[in-house]
Amino acid sequence: MLVYIYDGSFPGLLTAIYESYYRREKPEEILAQDQWQHTLFAQEVVIKTDEKKADKVYQAIKDKISGFAARNAYCVFLAEVPGAEMLIYNYLSRGWKLGAKLDFHLADEAVLQVHTVAKKVRQEAHRMLGLVRFRLLKHELYYAQIEPDHNILQMISPHFARRMADQNWIIHDVKRGLAAVYNQVEWVLTPLERPKTISLDETGLFYESLWQKYFSSIAIKSRKNLRLQRSFLPKRYWKHLVEMDESRSRFAESSVLSPQSPVKTYK
Amino acid sequence: MELLEKLEILANAAKYDVSCSSSGSTRKNKAGGLGNSYASGICHSWSEDGRCISLLKILLTNYCIYNCAYCVNRSSNDIPRAYFTPDEVAKLTVNFYRRNYIEGLFLSSAVITSPNHTMELLTETVRKLRNIHNFNGYIHLKAIPGADLELIKEAGSLVDRMSVNIELPSASGLKLLAPQKKQDLIIRPMDYIKLQIYEHKEERKISRKVSHFVPAGQTTQLIVGATPDTDLNILQLSEKIYKNYELKRVYYSAYVPVSEHPKLPQISQPPLLREHRLYQADWLLRFYGFRAEELLNESQPNFDLELDPKTNWALRNLHLFPVEINRADYETLLRVPGIGVKSAQRIIRARQVRAVTFDNLKKFGVVMKRAQFFITCRGKYGGQISLENKLLRQYLIAKPKPIQHSSPYEQLSLFNESVPSIPSEVMLSNLTGEL
Repeated sequence: MLVYIYDGSFPGLLTAIYESYYRREKPEEILAQDQWQHTLFAQEVVIKTDEKKADKVYQAIKDKISGFAARNAYCVFLAEVPGAEMLIYNYLSRGWKLGAKLDFHLADEAVLQVHTVAKKVRQEAHRMLGLVRFRLLKHELYYAQIEPDHNILQMISPHFARRMADQNWIIHDVKRGLAAVYNQVEWVLTPLERPKTISLDETGLFYESLWQKYFSSIAIKSRKNLRLQRSFLPKRYWKHLVEMDESRSRFAESSVLSPQSPVKTYK
Repeated sequence: MELLEKLEILANAAKYDVSCSSSGSTRKNKAGGLGNSYASGICHSWSEDGRCISLLKILLTNYCIYNCAYCVNRSSNDIPRAYFTPDEVAKLTVNFYRRNYIEGLFLSSAVITSPNHTMELLTETVRKLRNIHNFNGYIHLKAIPGADLELIKEAGSLVDRMSVNIELPSASGLKLLAPQKKQDLIIRPMDYIKLQIYEHKEERKISRKVSHFVPAGQTTQLIVGATPDTDLNILQLSEKIYKNYELKRVYYSAYVPVSEHPKLPQISQPPLLREHRLYQADWLLRFYGFRAEELLNESQPNFDLELDPKTNWALRNLHLFPVEINRADYETLLRVPGIGVKSAQRIIRARQVRAVTFDNLKKFGVVMKRAQFFITCRGKYGGQISLENKLLRQYLIAKPKPIQHSSPYEQLSLFNESVPSIPSEVMLSNLTGEL
């Protein structure tokens, strides 16, 4: 059994695809380092990430298949579901053969699976545009915590940089220890630990109570339909929504957030 | 009065306005400004009735000079009243927006003092938001019937969407329940907004400096079930409005019994299913190429509550079916029950590279429960029963059987408290061997 092991980054995965092509071999699995456990019968190949090779593959996807296919592959990568690497691998393998018409083959299992997963990721990213809840901290900083199923932080950040252009904000994916930090000029992606406590601004709490009041007043009692509500807004998201009971009293007072050095800068 | 209390009263008063969408506009943020709009709209939360919350939906005031029987805010109703100042609304909007609670503002109002005075207050609020707070998020503003058209024009150049409520589906209903409102008074601002949208669009072709006018278009709303109007009346009215006034949406609101009035019907529950059928039909008008008289006619003026409008139409037009999935054009596919816009597009795409099979259809999102009777795939018919069968209707209505729990048999378990219920004398005889 041939197993490719890469560093867990998207360029790493693309390098693996490059190597597979030029070595003329098909791995049975492609796994990130931290997911890999040694087994007796596997033949391991450690892939060293090479930006040049990765760029070549990415460009080839765009030229030989389509930009849409490249975006699909990236979405599936962000899904962080088990086996995502092989889904992408199989999808692109079909793509090298079928070319630009790849995404017309909706009945093809490899294409269908990638479409299904990519759709889930895009749906969650869109949903999160509405569900991010900023809380006003001291020093005019708007801070939001999210725990999305998929790693969609970098998909949603440009939207908030355009929209909340005149305020400082942090969107913190506490599940992955990752934060998008914006300073009214540019946003960066940086690792950030879950803060033990945060210090809220006093006036901010007033608007939170106004929002809770609004939320409970706007429902029409004689049309009450909790099942419908849950189907649009699954309960796993309620934890970070200030209007839901689940979110009350999660934060205590006073502490400082200290972002570490940024890993990537986006303008 | 406290802001909290005001918000409660005026949100309560506004909740019967159905519209919540924040779509259709592509307003961009300005340098140093706050907010932009998102073409497809964004929902920010869902309230307990399952309706989405996208905009901060409030009335400027619920003091009203009118006394419409169907409305909570009618002047004779004994409810707490309040009013916001334009500044309060602007501040509230901006602060909710900064926390990403909302996509923008949906501002409406009861009519205080006069239509002109009310419209002036509404416009002032919007002006403050745009000019002082540099707010570029979505704004949906109600146009007050009877207000000067110049006022409506100014408001229109500031907001993204405007709406005038038609309220009731017929002039006779209006006369009965809202004698102070006249249908032509409602139509006038609608017509005016349509013309202005058109004019601004033409002028913008020449110069980009001309401001947008209601870029997300206008909508309206009418109440279903408060008057004896049939679904056919309502649907024909919608069709006319879509055609003549180029509205983006007509919203239907099931009448919620908010008051007891001799002229109002006595109902305990709002007619939600009827409202749902109207929405389904509305979609058929706008996206599926149906006409109102295809869906309903004088002999059947109301929708079947058991079957959706499209399936119903198909049952009355069996001679058009079955259609071949691999050959039918897009318009024909759209008319098959169980096939929607998305799945029709997928079929068209997929069959360019390979013939589509029944198995594929399910994966494309086609509802096979309904579609199977009306289609063939590569010449094969896959329905459980043929189209001519008299039971077809029954098959389409049937709900999936719930799992039976009251089975006379039960799974044996070592640790069950209950011993299989065999009469004790039988057990005894089993033990002793005496039969």
